[in-house]
Amino acid sequence: MKLSAKFMLKVAGTLTLICLVVSALLGAVNNVTAPKIAAINEENTKLALSNVAASPESDFQPIDLTDDMVAAASAQGAKLTEAYTVLNGGEAVGYAFKVVAGGSQGDIEMIVGVDSDNAVTGVSVVNNKETAGIGSKVMGNETLPSGVGVLDQFVGKSGAGSLAVKVNVDAISGATVSSKGVTKGVNGALAAAEVMG
Amino acid sequence: MNLKKQFKEGLITQNPVLVQLLGMCSTMAITTSIANAIGMGISVTIILTLSNIFISLLRKIIPNEVRIACYIVVIAGFVTMVDLSLQAFFPDLAKSLGVFIPLIVVNCIILGRAEAFANKNTVLASAVDGICQGIGYTLVLIIMSAFRELFGAGKLYGFQIMPAGYTPALLLILPVGGFLCLGVLIAIMQWALDKSAKKKAEKEAAEK
Repeated sequence: MKLSAKFMLKVAGTLTLICLVVSALLGAVNNVTAPKIAAINEENTKLALSNVAASPESDFQPIDLTDDMVAAASAQGAKLTEAYTVLNGGEAVGYAFKVVAGGSQGDIEMIVGVDSDNAVTGVSVVNNKETAGIGSKVMGNETLPSGVGVLDQFVGKSGAGSLAVKVNVDAISGATVSSKGVTKGVNGALAAAEVMG
Repeated sequence: MNLKKQFKEGLITQNPVLVQLLGMCSTMAITTSIANAIGMGISVTIILTLSNIFISLLRKIIPNEVRIACYIVVIAGFVTMVDLSLQAFFPDLAKSLGVFIPLIVVNCIILGRAEAFANKNTVLASAVDGICQGIGYTLVLIIMSAFRELFGAGKLYGFQIMPAGYTPALLLILPVGGFLCLGVLIAIMQWALDKSAKKKAEKEAAEK
C-alpha cells in the first residue's frame, strides 16, 4: 500500500478529531456528575462510620496512616486503608479503621470501630463479593444460633490476634471462609489501635 | 426501512444473545435479579442506540482503515457517560452492576451492530436497529433473571414470592446457574426457529 501524506493526514486527523469531540463531551458530563458522586461516597462512608461508633452522635476526623499501623494490621492478614479518630462532643473516644481482608470470593472491605480501651464497638461491611445466599449472610449480619448478629458478636471483644473462628468467634454454617475474613479484618483493626495506644 | 422486520429480527430471528450469541458474558453475570437485568438492559439499549446513530452519521467521514478504532472511541465515550450518570443518579444500581457497566465497551453486541449495520445504513434505520436489538437483549435478560431470582432466591424484583418453607436453589444464583439457564434458553430458541423454518418449507412445498 502506498502511503501518501494526504492519506495519513486524513486517517490520523479523523481519529484525532473524533477523540477530541468525545473527550470534550466526557469532560462536560464529568463536570455534572463528579460532585454528585463525591457526595454519595462521602455519605456512604459517614453512614458506615456512624454504624460502628458506640454513640450515633459521634464526629469523625481522618488521621494519617503510619507505617507501624499498616504493618501491625498486615501482620494479622488485613490491609489498613483509612483511619479516623472518633470524637464525641469534641473528645476523642476511640478510633474507626477501614480495613480490607480476603473473603471467599474476593476482598471484604469493612469499617471497624474501636474504643479507647481497645475493644471493638462495631463492625460494618462496606463492600464485598461474597457468594449470594451463603457468604452474604455474614455480610448482612445474620443472627447466629446464640441470638447475636454475626457482625455484632465482635462488639466488646479485644486483643489483636486473639480472635479466631471456632475459638471465640462463631461462624455462620457454610460460610466459614467469609466469617474468617471478617475476623481477620477485626484483628487487623485491633492491632492498629494497639499500635496507636 | 422495514420497521416490522427489524423489530422481529431484534427480538427473535436475529436476537443478539440467543441467535447471534453476542454479549453472553454480561448476560450470565448480571441476571441474578430482575432489577439488575432491567438496569443493564436499559443501559445497553441507550448506549447501543446512541452509538448506532453516531456511527451511522459518521459513516461517510470515518476512513475504512481506522474504522474500528473510531467505533471504540465513540462507544467508550457513551459507556463512560452512562457509567458516570448511573453512579451519580442511581448509586444502588451502579453498585450492584459493578464492573459490568464499564465492560459494555467491549460488549460485542455494540461493536457488532456498528460493524454489521450502522456503518451501512441510514441514521434512522440505525437508531431503530439499536432500539430493537436492545429490546431483544433486555428481554433475554429479564426472562433469565426472572427464572434465576424466583427459583434461586425465592423472590421476584426483591419481593418474597415463594412460601417460607421453600429452600432456594442456590445453584441457580451461582455462575454455574447462569451457564445452565443460558444453555437451555439457546436450545429452546434454536428448536423453535428450526421448527418454524421446517413448517415454512413444508407449506411452500405443498403450494407447489
